[in-house]
This record gives sequence, C-alpha cells and structure tokens, in this order.
Amino acid sequence: MRIPIRMIGIATTFFWIFLIGFFISAVYSVKDVQFNFGEPQFGLNANSEAFFSLPVSIINRGLYDISVFRIFTQISDNANIAIVNGSTSVPVIKRNDEVTVMHNMTVNVDDLLQTDQNYLFNDTDLRIYVVLGMSIAKMIPVEASANLSVRWGAPLYNFALGQVQYSAYNSSHLVATVPISFENHAFFDVAGNIRVRMYNSTNRRVGSGEISVVVPPDSSYNGSLQFYASITRLTASGRFDVYFSTAFFDYGPLVIHYG
Amino acid sequence: MAENNNDSRRTIRNFTCKALKATAKAIILYVAYFLMWTMFLAPASELIPGLQQMIETFVMVYIILIIIGELTSGTIFQYFFSVAKALFVIGYLIFSLNGGILGLTFQNVSLMVDLRLFLAIATLLSLLGLAKSVLQAINYMSEKAEYTRI
Repeated sequence: MRIPIRMIGIATTFFWIFLIGFFISAVYSVKDVQFNFGEPQFGLNANSEAFFSLPVSIINRGLYDISVFRIFTQISDNANIAIVNGSTSVPVIKRNDEVTVMHNMTVNVDDLLQTDQNYLFNDTDLRIYVVLGMSIAKMIPVEASANLSVRWGAPLYNFALGQVQYSAYNSSHLVATVPISFENHAFFDVAGNIRVRMYNSTNRRVGSGEISVVVPPDSSYNGSLQFYASITRLTASGRFDVYFSTAFFDYGPLVIHYG
Repeated sequence: MAENNNDSRRTIRNFTCKALKATAKAIILYVAYFLMWTMFLAPASELIPGLQQMIETFVMVYIILIIIGELTSGTIFQYFFSVAKALFVIGYLIFSLNGGILGLTFQNVSLMVDLRLFLAIATLLSLLGLAKSVLQAINYMSEKAEYTRI
C-alpha cells in the first residue's frame, strides 16, 4: 500500500506545483497586456443616426492567449433608463498579437427626443456604464466595470422667441419680425431650418416663416425671422408653433405663447 | 537501568531529529514563500488590499501544522494533522477567495476576477491530499496491528 500512497503524494505535489506556477504566470502576464484607446469619432451615418466610434487596440505580450474579450457600454439617463448600448467582442487574441477593434454605438436622436424633449433644450448628466471583460488563458475570467458621468449639451439650450416687431407692408399685411436666440451646447452642429407658425387667440394662422441656421458647437445664435402677418387676424395674444428640422433631428411643434 | 538510559537517549535523539526535520521543512517553505512573494506577488499587493496579510496567515498556519505533523511523526496523530492541513487548505482557499469570485474596487473602477475553476482544481487537489492522509492512517493502523499480532 505504501507505493500507491507515495504515487498519490508525488502526483499531488506535481499538480500543486503546476497549478500554482500556472496561476502565478497567468496573473503575472496580465501586466504585459496593453490597451490603447484611440481618438473617438462622432458623426452621422447613412440612416441619419448619430454614431460614436472608439478605436481600441489590444496588444497581448503576455504568456497566454486572451479569449472572449468584450467591451460593453450603456448610456442611460438620470432615471437609469437605457438610451443606447453597444457591445464589441473579439473571440481570441493570441499571444504576441495586436488587435484593433472599433467600439460603435449608434443612437437615433429623433427617437430619443420623442421620449424626452429635455435633451433638446436642457443640459443634463448622462450615465455611462462601461464593462471590459476577458478570459486569461481561457481559465480566469476578469471583468472591469466603471460608472462614468458625462454632460449632455442641449442643441437648443435656452431657446427663446423675443418680442415681435411689426412694420407696415400693405393694407392687409404687416411684416412681423421675431427674434430667435439659443445656444448650441451639443457636440454637433445645429444646421437646418427653423419654421415658425403664428396663430391668433382663435387658432387661426396669422402667418408663417422659415429661417436657415448653421450653429457650431459651443456657440450661440441670435437672429430674427421675418414673415407676413395678416392684419385682420392679428390679436393681442396667441401662440407660435416652432418646428425644427436638422440633419440630426426633426422636432415640433414647440408651442410658445405670446401676449 | 542502562536500558532505560538508552531508551531516553533514543527518545531525545528521535525528537531532535524530528525537530530538525520540522525546522528544515519550515525554513524551506518560508524561503519558497519569501521568494515567491518578492518576485511575483509583491507588485500585486499594491492593487489588492490585505493580500500580504491573507497569504502570511495562510503560510503561518500551514508551517505550524507542518511542524506539529513532523513532531508527531511515527504516531497516528501525524495523519490527523495531515488531514487537518488538507482541510485547512480547502477551507482557507474557499474563505479567502470568497467562493471563487474576487471583487475589488479601485477609485471608480470595479474589478471582478472569477477564480472558480482554479478554486475547484485546488479543492480537488486538497481532497487528493486528504485521501492520501486517510490512506496513510489506515496503512499505519494495519501495519501496527500486524506487528502486534506477530
């Protein structure tokens, strides 16, 4: 019986040494894995959706292959409701290999504004949940996650129509001048049209006009819109219906009362 | 009288041998731990709080069990301590590795390491060590019974 016992002892010792050696070398080789994040890109795709693209390169100089490499990102609002999420995965990154992947996320700004128009007019904080996972040597899954917060800049921040100025045109119409102002806090240009329809207190249209705007990020717009207003329909109070049409979004009507 | 003197001398010599063997084993184990710590694990201790304390406690208890096991060698208690050693390794691994899922939070980043597979293999190896100790105890008892009968 002594020989089998001794064999068990030798086998156990051998496996222990192998296991500890493997574990230490696996943990040690993580320090030779590099992650490089490139310049993020923003833009519009063919479906008029805003996209965010982040190039990530993984350089595996460790002793073992990396498998099931995964990046997951979720952007949610203050109430923790998911707005957009993106996932990128690489099945295997072999040792001494370098892989570059693009982590993409697309968001339909139109859909987003349908759920909450605050994104258009008010700056807010967005929560970003990032998960980076991989399996070292196909045996030790590791996952790192982080919660970040980014500022969402409203493209039409502080949008306002000023006091309407009238000037004579002919016996039936006046020329109405409506001052328009807003600040573009978004990361994209606000380039498109703003259409204004003026209604009187009996819901009859007084007049309407359109203006083209191109407002770069982090800049403000101060302009005015002119249109012909019917004198007979003009009342002391009423409302403006404002419609926005840009490459990123279409929104309207925004109702602003006057008088 | 002379026989008694010889017996006590033999006992002292045996005990000294056992003590020397135990000391040698303890020193070898500690040197192995020290080398492993300074070469590989020290950088990791900056990231994992309490790693050094965790490993040192393990090494300390393991060395104590080795010393006691060595001092009681030639008796059935040697195998008891051997079984205790194997059970201690299993228990300590499960406890210190938090069931195989290790979680760390560093500033805003949470890190999760899944060591369940490693833990399962380590537990199986410890069970193998436990089985070996039980077999050794059975072997010891059966050999003792044979000598008694002769």
